[in-house]
Amino acid sequence: MTEILKLETKYFGEIECEAKDAICFPAGLFGFEEEHDFLLMPFDGSGGSMLCLQSMTTPALAFVVLDPFSFLPDYAPVLEEAELRQFGVKDAGELGFYVMCALKNPVSESTVNLKCPLVIHPETRQARQVIMGRYEMRHPLAEFGRGEEDASC
Amino acid sequence: MLILQRKPGESLVIGENISISVVSIEGGRVRLAISAPQEISILRSELLDATAANRDSAVEEAAPAELLGLLGALPSDKNKQKGEEKP
Repeated sequence: MTEILKLETKYFGEIECEAKDAICFPAGLFGFEEEHDFLLMPFDGSGGSMLCLQSMTTPALAFVVLDPFSFLPDYAPVLEEAELRQFGVKDAGELGFYVMCALKNPVSESTVNLKCPLVIHPETRQARQVIMGRYEMRHPLAEFGRGEEDASC
Repeated sequence: MLILQRKPGESLVIGENISISVVSIEGGRVRLAISAPQEISILRSELLDATAANRDSAVEEAAPAELLGLLGALPSDKNKQKGEEKP
């Protein structure tokens, strides 16, 4: 009864998945309101902290997303009452959070959007992107690694 | 930039057919009612910014593998132990 879907992806070539693997954004993403179904697939070698959010309808559309807690352990997303209600939860801690990355050249100038996380209900796989009161939309990623090996200087 | 004061219930008019009235002010939030022709798009400005940020994210200028290199240089907190609170 489970139907295997063949899907062309941006980073992983052709893959097979099931409809139930989909993460559903009923309202789409900001600027991509028509895109509702995505797959979330970890990149090899990231330990699960760097993932690809692949559109299931547009092969060329994929985002690199990060587990914000992997580099910012005290990231504290706050959702509004109405948003929590939509997810049917009492506390944001019951939800999964990912942040979108803007990959720049050089890669050290890449940024993360901490202000607009992707919020995913782990059981229903319903999701939405929110805009929070705090945090930046273009936070330099390199800042989190300050003082570590910096080959450029 | 024009700055003016309005009380709840008062309104202002922009051009010939856009009017904005203050509905209420509560807890640091202002509720506005906007009436404008259908073809005028009205967006919260952070929504425009969020849209621009998403569009940037959709066009990567570097390979994800390169990012792994950068992330590798970030301090790893992989040994965080959630759910292991002390009794």
